[in-house]
Amino acid sequence: MSDTLLSTHGLVARYGDFQALYGIDFEIGHGEVVALIGANGAGKSTLLKSIMGLLRVAPDMVRLEGRPVGGHRPNRMVASGVAIVPEGRRLFAGMSVLDNLKVAIDHAAAPKGTPWTLERVYDLFPILRDKQAVPVQSLSGGQQQMVAIARALLNQPRLLLCDEISLGLAPKVVREIYQSIPSISSGGTAIVLVEQDVGLARSSSDRLYCMLEGRVSLTGVSAQISREAIGEAYFGGVHAVA
Amino acid sequence: MQWLDGIVQGILLGGLYAQYALGMALMFGVMRIVNITHGDLMILLALTGISIASAFSLSPWSVLVALVALGAILGLLLQRLILNRVVGADPLPSLIATFGLSVALQNAMLQVWSADTRSLHAGGLAQASYQFGTLYVGVLPVIVLVTATALTGGLDATLRYTRFGRALRAASADVEAAALTGVDPKAAYAGATAVAVAILGFAAVFQSMRATVAPADGAFQLIYAFEAVIIGGMGSIWGAFFGAMVLGVSQSIGFRIDPGFGILAGHLVFLLILALRPQGLLGKD
Repeated sequence: MSDTLLSTHGLVARYGDFQALYGIDFEIGHGEVVALIGANGAGKSTLLKSIMGLLRVAPDMVRLEGRPVGGHRPNRMVASGVAIVPEGRRLFAGMSVLDNLKVAIDHAAAPKGTPWTLERVYDLFPILRDKQAVPVQSLSGGQQQMVAIARALLNQPRLLLCDEISLGLAPKVVREIYQSIPSISSGGTAIVLVEQDVGLARSSSDRLYCMLEGRVSLTGVSAQISREAIGEAYFGGVHAVA
Repeated sequence: MQWLDGIVQGILLGGLYAQYALGMALMFGVMRIVNITHGDLMILLALTGISIASAFSLSPWSVLVALVALGAILGLLLQRLILNRVVGADPLPSLIATFGLSVALQNAMLQVWSADTRSLHAGGLAQASYQFGTLYVGVLPVIVLVTATALTGGLDATLRYTRFGRALRAASADVEAAALTGVDPKAAYAGATAVAVAILGFAAVFQSMRATVAPADGAFQLIYAFEAVIIGGMGSIWGAFFGAMVLGVSQSIGFRIDPGFGILAGHLVFLLILALRPQGLLGKD
């Protein structure tokens, strides 16, 4: 595929003696939205961490537009145009919303296409405009998630990795946050959505990967995969139904 | 009058303590790195300054420029070679690594400079003073206080409003998240340690002009710096400045109560504040 943005090739990752990923082949094209689903411990977050350079992987296992980038430090991945909304948001406590965002602006990649500005992220999440000067720890969970997404966007990514952005949020807030996904990808940014909610993952993505115990158990076009196929890939082929 | 004089002299002494404390406020207060060599590095800079001043007959102000530059280089090396290997959520490894380095530095300095006390010739400046009624205020201590205030303001503004300051605060809050936002945490820490030790270059010159230095003196500067940072509140740069003032005034008043009581008075006030307001004067939570 000539328009592949990022791909992994037989990616293996381990935490000490524990092997978490067994040869993952994954790819995402420019501007594509790909969902990554699977049970807890299936290796979804580990895959994102390996791509971002938080875990040691061989150079050839991760390619960005064909160039080997496996094992590049996180700050180098950001400079190459890959940003992440980390699991649990991980905002900079003690700093204001604006200062959190400015850290990303200070260390942004060279923008391709229309650059993200403070104005644009405030249009995406209007509540943040009023909360600029507020320390991030005093925001609600949903607002904190918006700051985390805005912060990643201001890194000017070509590829945005979102790790469980709906976790622990009220359904109304989840909808609000997921409404921002089309406007992000319409600007040409490719998005990987790690998501627990299978329905949400399917409806908001072009393609999906299902992971099971460190391997890809299913992949295909989101709209064409049946619920049964997902159920089987999610829990494993031979599982007892109580 | 004796007490007014005590307070004024204490504030002036606090100016010197603030110069010890600023680097500590940055490293311990913001970055949570315990650097036991803090005082020894200041002594190393001071002794080096005294030696180059007599070797090349430099004025104290030229020595100041040289020591600030040398301090920045030493800080960069300290962070790159030692502290970046032990940095993390746990302050214990940095404590043990720098404790070892502190012992080695003191012994190395004894070898090179012997145990003699030395000082930097300040010309007429050491004796010059302003007179207000019966109150005498030394010119040099006033210069020290003004310098300390300017350094505090500059450092505080750097942390608040610059790219470097934001990166350092982000890395201190969550080092992994900072890296995921594009910050190079090791570079940010190396820069901050360079700044912290460069500020000790100021302290080294003024300490050796105002008083004397000897290789084993570093422990005093270390403990005063720690106390000032904790009295002021972790993470607050102006807090460390006011903490240094509290320490200076306590010691100065203590000396007037009894000449042997001064240093102890400072420690007692420190313990009192630790008991009554453990978060420090300007600390938040």
